[in-house]
Amino acid sequence: MRLERTAAVAGAGVLARHALEVAAKDLRVEVRSGEALPVIVPFGAAALLLLPVAVGADLPLLRQAGWGMFWVVVLLFGTLVTVRGTAVDAPAQRDLLALLGVDPAARFAGQTLASALLLVAFQALLAPVAVALYDPGLAGWRWLWPTVLLVAVGLAALGTLAGTLTAGLPARGTLAPLLVLPLSVPLLLAGTQVAAGAASGRSPVVWLLLLLAVDLVVVAAGVLAAGSVEETSR
Amino acid sequence: MTAGIPTSARVVSTARVGRRVWLPAATAFLLALGLAAAMAAPPDRLQGNLQRLMYVHVPAAWLAYLAFAVTFGASLAWLWRRRPGADRLAAASAEVGVFFTGLALVLGSVWGKPVWGVWWTWDPRLVTTALLFFVYLGYLALRRAVADPAVRARRAAVLGVVAFVQVPIVHLSVVWWRALHQPPTVLKPGDPTIDHAMLAALLVNVAAFTALYALLVARRLELARLQDEAERLLAEGEPPLAGAAVTPPRPEGMRDRG
Repeated sequence: MRLERTAAVAGAGVLARHALEVAAKDLRVEVRSGEALPVIVPFGAAALLLLPVAVGADLPLLRQAGWGMFWVVVLLFGTLVTVRGTAVDAPAQRDLLALLGVDPAARFAGQTLASALLLVAFQALLAPVAVALYDPGLAGWRWLWPTVLLVAVGLAALGTLAGTLTAGLPARGTLAPLLVLPLSVPLLLAGTQVAAGAASGRSPVVWLLLLLAVDLVVVAAGVLAAGSVEETSR
Repeated sequence: MTAGIPTSARVVSTARVGRRVWLPAATAFLLALGLAAAMAAPPDRLQGNLQRLMYVHVPAAWLAYLAFAVTFGASLAWLWRRRPGADRLAAASAEVGVFFTGLALVLGSVWGKPVWGVWWTWDPRLVTTALLFFVYLGYLALRRAVADPAVRARRAAVLGVVAFVQVPIVHLSVVWWRALHQPPTVLKPGDPTIDHAMLAALLVNVAAFTALYALLVARRLELARLQDEAERLLAEGEPPLAGAAVTPPRPEGMRDRG
């Protein structure tokens, strides 16, 4: 019994180490390729700039809808961050990782972690743009940090799963966002409600718990499905 | 005339013919009964005859739940046993489910215009149902995008399991966010909050539409089976490509890049 527990702890340790290695590898690839932040952040900022052109430069309206627009842009363009081309390993890379004994669950967790870190950076860069353009209320801004983190993890897990399901398909660029966006609505809802609740003085803890629950469900689904999805690439 | 056919083949053939006849016949009978029940049920005190749309709208929404639950179960079954039939069932049920989800949305919109004054409103039930529609459109798009049947089955099975999380969200949306759409009247604990004559007509229509679902899925399954069979026969009988036996010369020491 004790031996089994020790083996399980050791297995979890190896899994976590592999996940960290995969995440570090993905981040190194991103630093070299510059696909996510240098391209998608300006794209998202341009979208924030274009939205008032479409709805009218009504300052009170923009102030009221500012955080909502920010979260919509985060979800739409954050999806592009998670399904970026460099986030998907080529068959030869996958085979090598499999030969090295890297569990598919560790690969999923590592890729999700890397995408989540990129999404945190993505949101940290876009938030000041939204504040500058829309001047939304900053009351309860301290609640923004856990929201950013939880949205990043949920979106990263969904994007990693969708990216793996659509790997190698000609329509991957359009199909993966189609799979991610409808499922990411709880993230949008919780993100906007945290901001609205904080602005009106209500505690947004319930919405943060919803975000946490969504994250746990998606990450668990991704980890459990990783083995089955892994086979698809062989 | 059937003297040359073995008894077992005759039994199978008779069973298949029977199945082909009784399901459409039962569906047609139930649909006719459902139509009669919907016409005979009393009109709503406030909405009048417009309320009769409910006898199609509610069964369509119920079938969306049922169809996606079958896709979920069949996807799990495929991941467990890897039987092609489970994949075909998941696909067929999702197709029919997407159709009925779309029908429920359109009929709800038709009903909403005179009653609520708008074709669309930002009610949580409406929004989550529209999202459910898009989730399963994505599922069907994924299936169409993957050419290899084994790869398609694996990817679709994983998505078929994950996508089902949206169904309870749709059902409970009216409980979580009390908005314009009415809360559950039948699928809830306690006595249904609906006139019993209307409830009877509704249940007959639910049965009729469920039979229609079974018929459509059965037909789609048969079509998918024939399609697989045709693809297999085509692949078997495919003549070799001209020049397939000829390989390009490889200089010594050159490594394969594949």
